Amino acid sequence: MAVLDRIRHEVERNALRARNGIKLATGTDRPGVGQAPKDVVWRSGRCELWHYRSDKATVSPPLLIVFSLISRSYILDLTPGNSFVERLVDAGFDVYLLDWGVPDERDAQNRLEDYVDGYLPAAITRVRELSGADQVNLLGYCFGGILTLLHAAHHPDSPLRSLTVLATPIDFRHMGPLGKIFAHGGLEIDAVLDSDGNVPPHVILQGFRSLTPTAEVTRYVNLWDKLWSDDYVAAYQAMTGWSTDHIPFPGAAARETVDMLLRQNGLLNDRLTIGGDQVHLADVRVPFLTVLAERDHIVPEPATGPLIDLVGSADKHELRLAAGHIGLVVGRTAAKTTIPTIIDFLLSRSEVTR
Amino acid sequence: MPGNNGAEPPALWRQAFDAAEKFVAPRLESVVRTDQFAQATALGLKAQAALTHQANAVAAKLWHLVNLPAGTDVLRLRAQVGALDREVRRLTLALEQQQRSHGPDERIDDAAADQPGGGARSHPPRGRTQRPKSP
Repeated sequence: MAVLDRIRHEVERNALRARNGIKLATGTDRPGVGQAPKDVVWRSGRCELWHYRSDKATVSPPLLIVFSLISRSYILDLTPGNSFVERLVDAGFDVYLLDWGVPDERDAQNRLEDYVDGYLPAAITRVRELSGADQVNLLGYCFGGILTLLHAAHHPDSPLRSLTVLATPIDFRHMGPLGKIFAHGGLEIDAVLDSDGNVPPHVILQGFRSLTPTAEVTRYVNLWDKLWSDDYVAAYQAMTGWSTDHIPFPGAAARETVDMLLRQNGLLNDRLTIGGDQVHLADVRVPFLTVLAERDHIVPEPATGPLIDLVGSADKHELRLAAGHIGLVVGRTAAKTTIPTIIDFLLSRSEVTR
Repeated sequence: MPGNNGAEPPALWRQAFDAAEKFVAPRLESVVRTDQFAQATALGLKAQAALTHQANAVAAKLWHLVNLPAGTDVLRLRAQVGALDREVRRLTLALEQQQRSHGPDERIDDAAADQPGGGARSHPPRGRTQRPKSP
């Protein structure tokens, strides 16, 4: 009887696997990502400022999220019910997101100063205009965290109420094989630039894949194992879709990243130059929160750990979570710990207006 | 459905894969983090870039022989257009900041902001004297 049950069970699962396999192969039934309602309230070049619609915004000042330069921002609004942005909106925040778009040859000459001194201040100004607030809470994720740190350090007079960074690399010695290829292998960024002058997405993807060389095989094995589960397949489609969906990295910014942040380890060694000015993380004086993930294989703990000691804020906090890089903003750890902690930090430094 | 409670032991093939993966993964991860791997990969990528450069140079010479532009000429033009586009964007941001300083009460309307490049007011991209504050 037990054998018959087992056979029937396997037959049922294989039928479900076949159905879900066809769905995956044909690309039908893809989960919608980045669905939270929003408006584009400012744009310059490929860069757009999004304002998430909300009729329950009770917290002031507004929150401006700055995303990474090498991946797509919809990870912060992955699916309804599993959305970092949605949770912030539900908590009463007036949420804006600065999305860099998809760079092309017109962005190949963009340097870090374009983002730190140009787009970011313009977005902050626009947020203040729309909200009527004097200040903004700023939040940076991954490389977006670096941009926000450089902005806060280069503009001590920037109207920031607080700064929160998530999984932000500081000590680039721990940034894995791709970093080593440039730092120790002597590879120049020009050798990997595409014809449009940017680092192509496939190079970035290979860099991430080299961090865990067997992960690609394991991913397919896991998929086969759980292909019968509709929930798993939906999550797989959303997450895998995002993790393989990189965008070009503007060539000049990539060159600066390799020279200043990687080879000189400028964030850790206080050797930062933006727009010709020396910049020091010690000049970041606003209330500050850094969130790091202890199981992060992309930005490992040793890479982001030193940050708390480098910023000059008197009111500074570090949150260490047993999560992965993406687990900080997506999934159970994010829902139970990361997002509530960030909300608490921001609420305690904001006003509830009604 | 039986087996949906998560307490079901993994299938034999899965156990075998997990054991193999547990053995192989840390070793491979160590290998890709060595200096030798970094140097070998860098060498490969440099060689690939050099070959592409050589091929482009030969192709460019051939096209130039018949007085036609080569792909590399087009790339150079694209780069120049890109640089020009960047300068225009930076100037636009600076100009809007200038306008702001001349008319502080000016407000842009949302409709204008929805136009490409519309409505931005920013601090201009520039070097500002650092003003370290006391803690």
